[in-house]
Amino acid sequence: MGEVVLEGRGIKKWYGKLQVLKGIDIKIEKGKTKVIIGPSGSGKSTLLRILGLLEPPTEGNVLFKGRDVYAEKLDLNKIRAKIGFVFQEPSLFRHLTALDNVKLGLRHVLKLSEDEARRKALETLRIVHLEGWKDHYPAQLSGGQQQRVGIARALAMDPEIILFDEPTASLDIELTWEVIDTMRELAERGITMLVVTHEISFAKEVADEIIFMDDGMILEEGPPEKVLMNPKSERARVFLRRLLGV
Amino acid sequence: MDLDDFLFLLRGVPATLSISFLSFLIGFVIGFIIAIIKEQNIFGLKYVAEGYEKFLRGVPVLVIMLLFHFGFGGFIPIFKDPFTSATLALGLRSGAFQSQIFLGAINSVGRQQMMAALSVGLNRWQAFRHVILPQALIVALPGLGSEMALLIKDSSYSFILGVLDLTKHADILRRATRSFLFPYLAAAILYILITFPIANYLDKLGSKLKNKYGLR
Amino acid sequence: MEFLLQYSRFIIEGFITALTMTIIGVSGGAVLGITTALLDVYGGRVSKVLVGIYVEFFRGSPLIVQLLIFYFSIPAVTGLNWDAYTAGAVTLILNSGAYQKGYFKGAIEAVFKDQLMAAASIGLTFRQTLRYIVLPQALKIVIPAWTNELVSLGLSTSALIIIGVRELTSIAKTIAAQTFRPLEVYFTIAIIYFIWITIMLKIMDIVYRRVRIPGLEVSI
Repeated sequence: MGEVVLEGRGIKKWYGKLQVLKGIDIKIEKGKTKVIIGPSGSGKSTLLRILGLLEPPTEGNVLFKGRDVYAEKLDLNKIRAKIGFVFQEPSLFRHLTALDNVKLGLRHVLKLSEDEARRKALETLRIVHLEGWKDHYPAQLSGGQQQRVGIARALAMDPEIILFDEPTASLDIELTWEVIDTMRELAERGITMLVVTHEISFAKEVADEIIFMDDGMILEEGPPEKVLMNPKSERARVFLRRLLGV
Repeated sequence: MDLDDFLFLLRGVPATLSISFLSFLIGFVIGFIIAIIKEQNIFGLKYVAEGYEKFLRGVPVLVIMLLFHFGFGGFIPIFKDPFTSATLALGLRSGAFQSQIFLGAINSVGRQQMMAALSVGLNRWQAFRHVILPQALIVALPGLGSEMALLIKDSSYSFILGVLDLTKHADILRRATRSFLFPYLAAAILYILITFPIANYLDKLGSKLKNKYGLR
Repeated sequence: MEFLLQYSRFIIEGFITALTMTIIGVSGGAVLGITTALLDVYGGRVSKVLVGIYVEFFRGSPLIVQLLIFYFSIPAVTGLNWDAYTAGAVTLILNSGAYQKGYFKGAIEAVFKDQLMAAASIGLTFRQTLRYIVLPQALKIVIPAWTNELVSLGLSTSALIIIGVRELTSIAKTIAAQTFRPLEVYFTIAIIYFIWITIMLKIMDIVYRRVRIPGLEVSI
């Protein structure tokens, strides 16, 4: 087993009286792509935000490279910088061009010089095939392009892992592919990824492991062929049948 | 400051309220007419209406008051009365403001409603009168509320012409009692107590009716 | 109206006073408005209440009464001795700040929450997020509202007449009394205000076009 980059132990989350996560244990190893599937409202996005340190769990521990983030009171901003996050809605900074969106964290979090930051940002935009759009503002880009800039913004920080929260959910079918292809390329480059998605083809072809979540719990866990073809639980079978249309 | 002083101060309220309400009504009529002229683009009147709006929005209402009272007052008798001059000045300017409120409201109701009205066979004027206008007036309510509040506050300029309004009473009281803080502070609080409920009520009523009819 | 030419020096001085007071009021008010808006949006209960009282007082009462309070009442109560110009400038700043708080609050809230989470996700601190994300956008979103404030406060400087500041309206009143020709005097002064306001609107329009960013046109 490789080095564990990010780990959640016994994660529980309540919003008031509503319990959305009921004790989740999850580990993501270096260089691996893990995909979480499950019906909406199953707590996937909440889990992802907790692992991304964007909100705290009510109970349980988040470990980044073996260190307990909340128990050891580590500097959240420093670790967030090492965990990339791509949101469901394209969440670009609207007053900045594509290039400046990618550059902002490089300049002010990683404290690179202007030249270095620019070079790095351009290089990263090239990876998502958007170097020609560097001077466009978010409003001048398609939804798919905005998501790819969002991916570049996360990738440029040289994160240990990137978390994707249904990055194609708000996109039309034809724009979905460009984002999925970009993510596939990242996986091939050996980037560690945790992806919440409904794109089963991506899960099947790219994931090293798939997790099926429902009602705040992990019901299935394993390699794609096992979870997708041979689920143990009835709920996973119903969900997959509906999703695959078989 | 004792109760008598406070009662004296209250005697300024009627003048303040009547100037504000009268000028609001004048502004309502003028604003409405201008909005219709601009919306329906009647003859070349659109440019006259625009010039009117621009000028009255670009000059202090106090200067208009002074122009009316001291300028026109010399040869037009009704302007000799400071109350009339102040009310007319505020009313004319309010017309320039209210036309914008109405126009914004009319535009917010939108073309779809107009086309729908035309499609059932109403003519343009009927469509405007029975479909656009009732909705526009609801949308305009919060704006009219803040305009009313603005008029109540700006009616205090009439004190400079010598109208016996709330501010003037506070000023008399300050001179008479040589109490420097309370007359003005009490007046300020009275203004707040008058403006707040009016603006608040129209705002609430506006959102309530908007929700009821599903307007935006 | 040639008779007015001999007063042109006073008229120009009055205009400069009005312009200066406007600039002081609007820029001081901007600093105050941003500060109180940030306190209102991100501050605790106490600061929210204090900001609320401040705004309600200065937006709910007439500028004339505020000027009287700051010129007559404050010195009498505190012993502070300031001239009409200082009292006037302070009042205009406080008055404008109360209005600008509303504009800035709207603009800050128009910076969508998703961007705040995105800023956190790349490791920006709260201060950095304010400085690099929220304020740059808020300052652009606020420009149209700010233009209105510039016009409205510019016209409001005429209220300074009441505490004896020698601005345009007060100069006009003096000239009208001296020449016995109020009609011509007030009409001319009205035109001067109108030209001033028109030019200011034009300048702000150019500024707005310059700094405009596609997709950031939010109405507040």
